[in-house]
Amino acid sequence: MIRTLRILAANPLSLLGLILVCLITLAAIFAPWIAPFPTHNGAVVDFLNNNRAPSARNWMGTDLVGRDIFSRILFAYQISLTLGVVVLAIAVPIGTMIGLLAGYIGGWLEMILMRIVDVFLSIPPLVLAIAMMGVLEPTLTNAMLAVTAMWWPWYARLVYSIARGEREEGYVLAAEVIGAGAGHIAFREILPNCLPAIITKMTLDMGFVIIIASSLSFLGLGVQPPTADLGSMVAEGARYLPDSWWLTVFPGLAILVAVFGFNLLGDGLRDVLGVDE
Amino acid sequence: MSILHIKDLHLGFKTLTGHVDVLHGIDLDIAAGEKVALVGESGSGKSVTARIVLGLLQETRTARISGTVQFDGQDINAMSARDRAGLRGTEMSMIFQDPTSALNPMFTIGNQFTEVLRRRDPKLSKAASHARATTLLDEVAIPDPARVLGAYPFQLSGGMNQRVMIAMALANTPKLLLADEPGTALDVSVQAQTLTLIRDLVEQNGTSVLFISHNLGVVREFADRVYVIYRGNIVEDGPTDALFANPQHAYTRALMSAVPRITGAGLPEVPEVSDDFLAPRISHGGAL
Amino acid sequence: MSGILRLLLNRLGISLIVLVGVSMLIFAIARIIPGDPARIALGPNANAEQIASLRAEMHLDASLPVQYGHFVADVLRGDLGMSLYTNRPVTQDIAQFLPATLELVFLAGFIMVAFGLPLGILAARHRGRWQDHLVRVIALLTVSAPGFVWAVILMLLFAFYLPLFPIAGRISDIYDIERTTGFLTIDTLLVGNWAAFGSAVHHLILPAIALSLSGIGQAARLTRANMVETYEKPYIEMAQAYGFFPSRIARSYAFKPSLIPSLTIIGLDFAAMLGNAFLVEAVFAWPGLSRYGVAVILRKDLNAIMGTVLIIAITFLIVNIIVDLMIAFLNPRIRYSTRGAS
Repeated sequence: MIRTLRILAANPLSLLGLILVCLITLAAIFAPWIAPFPTHNGAVVDFLNNNRAPSARNWMGTDLVGRDIFSRILFAYQISLTLGVVVLAIAVPIGTMIGLLAGYIGGWLEMILMRIVDVFLSIPPLVLAIAMMGVLEPTLTNAMLAVTAMWWPWYARLVYSIARGEREEGYVLAAEVIGAGAGHIAFREILPNCLPAIITKMTLDMGFVIIIASSLSFLGLGVQPPTADLGSMVAEGARYLPDSWWLTVFPGLAILVAVFGFNLLGDGLRDVLGVDE
Repeated sequence: MSILHIKDLHLGFKTLTGHVDVLHGIDLDIAAGEKVALVGESGSGKSVTARIVLGLLQETRTARISGTVQFDGQDINAMSARDRAGLRGTEMSMIFQDPTSALNPMFTIGNQFTEVLRRRDPKLSKAASHARATTLLDEVAIPDPARVLGAYPFQLSGGMNQRVMIAMALANTPKLLLADEPGTALDVSVQAQTLTLIRDLVEQNGTSVLFISHNLGVVREFADRVYVIYRGNIVEDGPTDALFANPQHAYTRALMSAVPRITGAGLPEVPEVSDDFLAPRISHGGAL
Repeated sequence: MSGILRLLLNRLGISLIVLVGVSMLIFAIARIIPGDPARIALGPNANAEQIASLRAEMHLDASLPVQYGHFVADVLRGDLGMSLYTNRPVTQDIAQFLPATLELVFLAGFIMVAFGLPLGILAARHRGRWQDHLVRVIALLTVSAPGFVWAVILMLLFAFYLPLFPIAGRISDIYDIERTTGFLTIDTLLVGNWAAFGSAVHHLILPAIALSLSGIGQAARLTRANMVETYEKPYIEMAQAYGFFPSRIARSYAFKPSLIPSLTIIGLDFAAMLGNAFLVEAVFAWPGLSRYGVAVILRKDLNAIMGTVLIIAITFLIVNIIVDLMIAFLNPRIRYSTRGAS
């Protein structure tokens, strides 16, 4: 763990990713204390200061009802990161279990499970999430549900492909010969070999979940106003281009910076942990 | 005059943790038309020596090379990368251990042959190269050259690919041929045929050969002179007959006692490491 | 050639199974809707009679398997139902909006391949050097923002500040082009109107770039990764030992074998653009399927939602079959195998 971190920090790009991820996580956690205008997360109106360009008072300007955009971005990071953590915390164990079952047990179970996975993978992820949000009420919980539903198959496929390879490896056969149970082999022998790939993918996926979630709210299918969300902030501001550029540019860059951080970190982890692309 | 003159060649690699020395001052000479073998275990530094002669390792940023490597009177280490590349495939060429994996799976033999022939004659037409390749494949006793030229490497047997590779290596009549354990990946009878074929062709063309092997049995059949390399040092050298008749160095003796008399694949296993293996070089003479 | 035919039949068979699954999934999504679909469709002012008649029309009173059977039977007849939003058959809506989206996605896919692969080749050829690091940063940056962010940034820079490209739409209003294929770049050429063709292309460029950016990054990274692996192969050392030019080795000897594993993923990225088009079309007011999809989703227009997702899934499957066939044609092992692909 320490060794991994030290090798990571030796690469300037990975170090940048690590720093960005830490900064954004801290900013999200402590948003209520560090935001210059902590109340601006909700339905606050300040028409005296609305639609102002960036200034010393409002570093990233104010929106159409006078709320501080910088403060709202900090709160929006809370939503994005929570969503990412919740989605992965549900999708990864489900996908991993299914991948392990299909990959290690094999047989008709493999056939059925992987065909189901194929079905999910044969609809572009965003389209599936959009379709689900189309029939559900647009709330944060439902957005998490929709994104989770489209996310687990990717882990199932990842773990499946590794587990299927490991099934033929000598040490698995050796464990079978000495009479180890299927559960022991799957979780104690095969799963540890999948972990580097899973951890790398999870880091990269934090970024992708943020992208998908902001895409949903950009289309009006995610978190609803007045709650701050990066996607809906861009959508609201897009109508006022190019004059009120700060309405869209800063929330857009906020997405870019956060996802870039996770991608740099994940890319660095992949090199350190020796995971294939 | 010697075709290849190596003097005090050192090679080291920069690694994450520091520096690893691989060659500690190699001296080696090959005369025109001479077949010289470099024998040692894997990791002894024989393959990297061949790659320095070809000028490939010079392109690796982590490699530190010093000493003299003169090919046909020109110092390889002092040349530009472009000039070194100009020698490869024309003045010198190489035969690889596993012919099937050394041929590109996405191109037909004919296409790859054309590329090789165009190294010497960049304007060679497709038809002319096809005709020339047919002749060359005929020389290595390939029965149906036209079919082979249209085939992909995976459609041919290992022995057939080996012949193709030999024909390619000698197509531009190089002055020096490097052979890195040719045929080791093939079965024993094919390997023996391969060696006979190479010997006949190089003797016919007057090509010098640097033959790299771990197998003393094979070397005895093939080489005029032998260098034995151990951990980046030449420990013994001399004319093949003299060296085999009277091996002096402890490592050479260990290597010989470990080798089955017949030709065969697989690494010789030197039973144990002895301090005597690090004793100074013994030369039986015979070099220019 | 029988290898290819076998492969095609095999892929068609699998796609058919997957398609059945997709139809079930879409049906399931449509049925998880809380409340009565008929009531939602008709709005709060509908009376009980209207709701009952629509329920009968939508077979909502039957059991779920029967409902699914009706759904499949309708789809097989080419009937995706009426859109409650446009009051037209969904098939007609899709026929109108799909070409605009495909036109955008095709150009974006072309841009992805035209820039992503060369960037990947460059990075692999100079692996470990500054070119490699630069491509890595570019690739990671492009995949780090959703299409709508790139759309907004590109629009701001190249439509507003530097007015090089139009802000919205598919073609200038002054042209009235007869619809034949729905692809404006083709229709304008069919009527021989070069100025209109130029206008259509001009309108396409900025949205297509915005859509392609993350794909460029993906393609570059993938190409690099697979090529770096290929560079370790003996046949590359052989090419170097014969003094072939490094640029030729990169573009041909190392690139070709590594293209095959890359292609599958590039096909997936291409298909993912169908989803990302939802975001880019919204910014550029592009009258495509995605804008239609969002409109019907916001109105809970069930038939239209199911139809749209189904069409996108089918397009996705077709793209995958085409990619598999391309791989088969490129790979001499499959092309010359008589036993079929494994």
